[in-house]
Amino acid sequence: MDLQRVVQVLATLVCVAGIIGAVIVARTRFRSLRPADSISLGVVTLSTVAFYKLLAFAGLAAAPAAAMVLANYHTFEGTHEVRACNGCHVMRPMVVDLMDPGSDTLAARHAKNKWIPQDQCYGCHSDYGLSGSMAAKAEGFRHLVRYTTGFYTEPIRFRGHFDNANCFKCHAGTEAFESRKSHQDVRQRLASNDVSCTNCHGWAHPTRAARTPGSADYARLMQNVLGKSRTQ
Amino acid sequence: MGAPNSGLPVLPGSGGPSEEPSASESELTRRDVIRMLAGVGGASLLGGGAWSVLELGIAPGAGLDWHKSVCRFCGTGCGVMVGMKDGRIVDVRGDELAHNRGMTCVKGTMLRVLNRLPGRLTRPRIRREDGKLVDATWDEAMGLVARKFQEAISRDGPDAVAFYGSGQLFIEESYTANKLFKAGIRTNNVDSNARLCMASAASGYTQTFGKDEPPGAYEDIDYADCFFVIGANPFECHPPLFERIQRRRRLHPDTFVICVDPRRTQTAERSDLHLAPIPGTDLLLLNAMAQVILADRLADDKFIDAHVRFSDGNATVDRAAYEKFLADYTPEKVEDRLGVAAATIRRVAYRFAQSRATMSLWTMGLNQRFHGTYLNSMVSALHLLTGQIGRPGATPFSLTGQCNACGGVRDTGALAHLLPNGRMVANPKHRQEVETLWGVPSGTISPTPGPDAVNMFRAMEEGKVQAALVMCTNPAQSLPNAVRYQRAMKKCFLAVAEIFEDSETAELADVLLPAALWVEKEGVLGQGERRYQLVTKLLDPPGEARSDLQMLVDLAERLGHGELIQARTSAQVWDEYRKFSASSYYNFAGMTRERLRKERGLQWPCPDESSPGTVRRYVEGEDPFVPKGAGIAFYGQPDRRAVVFQRPYLPSPAQVSAEFPLLLTTGRVLEQWHTGTMTGRIEELHRGSGPARFEIHPSDAWPLGIASGDRIEVKSSYGSVTGRAHLTEASRPGVLFASFYDTKLLINDVVADNLDPTSKEPEYKVTAISLRKVGEA
Repeated sequence: MDLQRVVQVLATLVCVAGIIGAVIVARTRFRSLRPADSISLGVVTLSTVAFYKLLAFAGLAAAPAAAMVLANYHTFEGTHEVRACNGCHVMRPMVVDLMDPGSDTLAARHAKNKWIPQDQCYGCHSDYGLSGSMAAKAEGFRHLVRYTTGFYTEPIRFRGHFDNANCFKCHAGTEAFESRKSHQDVRQRLASNDVSCTNCHGWAHPTRAARTPGSADYARLMQNVLGKSRTQ
Repeated sequence: MGAPNSGLPVLPGSGGPSEEPSASESELTRRDVIRMLAGVGGASLLGGGAWSVLELGIAPGAGLDWHKSVCRFCGTGCGVMVGMKDGRIVDVRGDELAHNRGMTCVKGTMLRVLNRLPGRLTRPRIRREDGKLVDATWDEAMGLVARKFQEAISRDGPDAVAFYGSGQLFIEESYTANKLFKAGIRTNNVDSNARLCMASAASGYTQTFGKDEPPGAYEDIDYADCFFVIGANPFECHPPLFERIQRRRRLHPDTFVICVDPRRTQTAERSDLHLAPIPGTDLLLLNAMAQVILADRLADDKFIDAHVRFSDGNATVDRAAYEKFLADYTPEKVEDRLGVAAATIRRVAYRFAQSRATMSLWTMGLNQRFHGTYLNSMVSALHLLTGQIGRPGATPFSLTGQCNACGGVRDTGALAHLLPNGRMVANPKHRQEVETLWGVPSGTISPTPGPDAVNMFRAMEEGKVQAALVMCTNPAQSLPNAVRYQRAMKKCFLAVAEIFEDSETAELADVLLPAALWVEKEGVLGQGERRYQLVTKLLDPPGEARSDLQMLVDLAERLGHGELIQARTSAQVWDEYRKFSASSYYNFAGMTRERLRKERGLQWPCPDESSPGTVRRYVEGEDPFVPKGAGIAFYGQPDRRAVVFQRPYLPSPAQVSAEFPLLLTTGRVLEQWHTGTMTGRIEELHRGSGPARFEIHPSDAWPLGIASGDRIEVKSSYGSVTGRAHLTEASRPGVLFASFYDTKLLINDVVADNLDPTSKEPEYKVTAISLRKVGEA
């Protein structure tokens, strides 16, 4: 069982425990409790008042807080996964292409060659460091809002520049990158995102036509969902 | 909610004990609650509003205005998107919707600074008698040009003037110049720098298929499983196309790339098989491949029977005669002269013939050759013999060096022997057709083809051409045997339309005319796969600079040919030429200006507005000129059969000797384009390429004591030049390489000006030279 699954189970248990605790606390008449009565928990014996106060704290404060932390962690980690992106149908052409061994897009080549073995969407679309992760999360949230409120048209288009730092994470310092004179010529421009790596290294995802529902290219691409591979 | 002692506000209707709660029940009044709610509501609206504005109101791309355009460098003709802000170009990206699917190279990427480069010519200039150029008005400059032209014409007739154009002028400009000179001035002294790079490809295709221009398209790269790259280095010279090849290989790892080049170029480095023949001998390879294909029964007999005719160059011969001719070219008989082992030749022939789809790609390595036409027609012949044509991925494809050599020069017929849309000056019927279409009296067009590029400058040397207009090219640096023709240019009255004030040719000009560059004017470019794409005007030219079309219209007026040149704007010329084309197999009448504004270019034939254009020529269902049921029809030939010629190998005039024991070959580097007039001024590109240098194999350098960085003198029977040596095993022993972009290493002064007898294209690729060290590193 991987860490995510552990967290998921743990969060569920915490939620269930918290709900049970909260119900018990809600049904308890605190004024009728007698301070002299005590409850033994095996290793420790508490007065009933202290026990129910602690239970109230656990059920009403600690368990929700823990559940929130665990749920956030789960969401934070879960949205790294390709399937999280695939949750919105507008992303499906990208994901179908990514998983297509017959595709020559940058994304598909990075996936099938295991250059990015897992979480490929997040691997290229989160900027460097914690702030990069947060920015990616914020961007994901923005997508979610637009998607659920219906403020989008298909095919969706990438807005602004793709941050070259995502390429540099792996490619900077490699012989293949450093030995090319052209890279050195425009290094400053690459570093400042003035020039995009994809300018010379091509299309990352399916063409706009293949991302437009109703088009022949879209139909051809989406055939792969049924396990049919494009052949030429 | 609603608990009496909860301390929370009690809302109306919430079941509280009183409609007017006292201050003792809550410290908050109803008014406070309403204020709070209003505040929260207001803040939410503000936040939501700001988000909506940011999300929905701002166009993609950080507030830039994006316009579709076309790269103005090589013949790949990449579609680009130009990002503008405050009237300036700030970004250029590949166009995702264009044929290049969003890719460009480093040169295309740096187009963003092109129009802002310092040193632009902004006012006309006239050379005074003391040799100094001084500013002048347009009226003074054009008045002088017209006067000199008229003087020369009245003295020695129309052939005393000439036009030397470029594969970078827009189609409308080359078409107008061609019409003005051939039908107005009545001289065929119209040639172009495209003669220096594409003439052999044009004559090769014309001889084989009856019509110029490639039958296939870039799209074929996505389907080929064998690439035969000969005399081309697409990694450096056509990077987006090489990337496309690489993509094909990554997708289909069994795709096989064969590279034939005397140098181990970056393309060769990435190929599955590299053959390095001795420069000038590769016709032996092609003939030997044909011999193996026919002798080993690799030929597509059915295809040959249906679509191919054999010829000895003069008359039709039968297949047996062709096979007999090839008997002298068995791999074993040619391997020593070629420098490639017989077994390797056989391997290549088998790959070529047996692959599911073979695509040949070539460029200057075959074109700039004494046997350029032979070589071109032989590559097509290999495709015809094996039936590797007319299917996706199977095609002989000649790559182009300039952005508009195909559309602008070959298709408009802006060469000394051509008329528009594949017609010949020497053909009376063709002349008659063009005279009718142009509405000029019969006999207007001179029946004598004019001089080709090199001979045009020789005519200046001899005083036959006394006044010439040069547009959008730098012949003082790009011609072979360059110093000789620089002297010739000095003898002639030279009007030069230029973008920079200090190019090598500008130094020789008598009148300098400031020209608009790239998106400072509007026009159509036709790239290597018959695709016409529109470049719209996005900027005003600097100072008083004008488009070349404006200059030609002005000259026409001043020479009294205003009535002939009725189309005065780019759109008007396009419309005239579009309708003109309907009379030919080049028919692109369906490419209206409006369509070109919307679409990412269209490939001709495209006879009507409903036509999507033609990806593969001569193929039923794709090419509108192929009749139903024909399958494939090479309709350029009278019998609809493509021709396979017997092409005997004759040694190049450039042969090594005791005096000149090595061979020099020239080419491009990735970061620079042509003579570097533009790319040489772009800091990033200049830094990348560095100064030009001689690449020498260590085995040639060591006996002469030459180390990397040493200054060496390279000498041929034409001239000598000194430069830095760079030792590399990428060169074949016995072969030096240099690029021609650097004015400080004017390599073309050394290069031979031997011409292909048919295409008249100079043999830049083979020059016999000697070498000596003249200085330490």
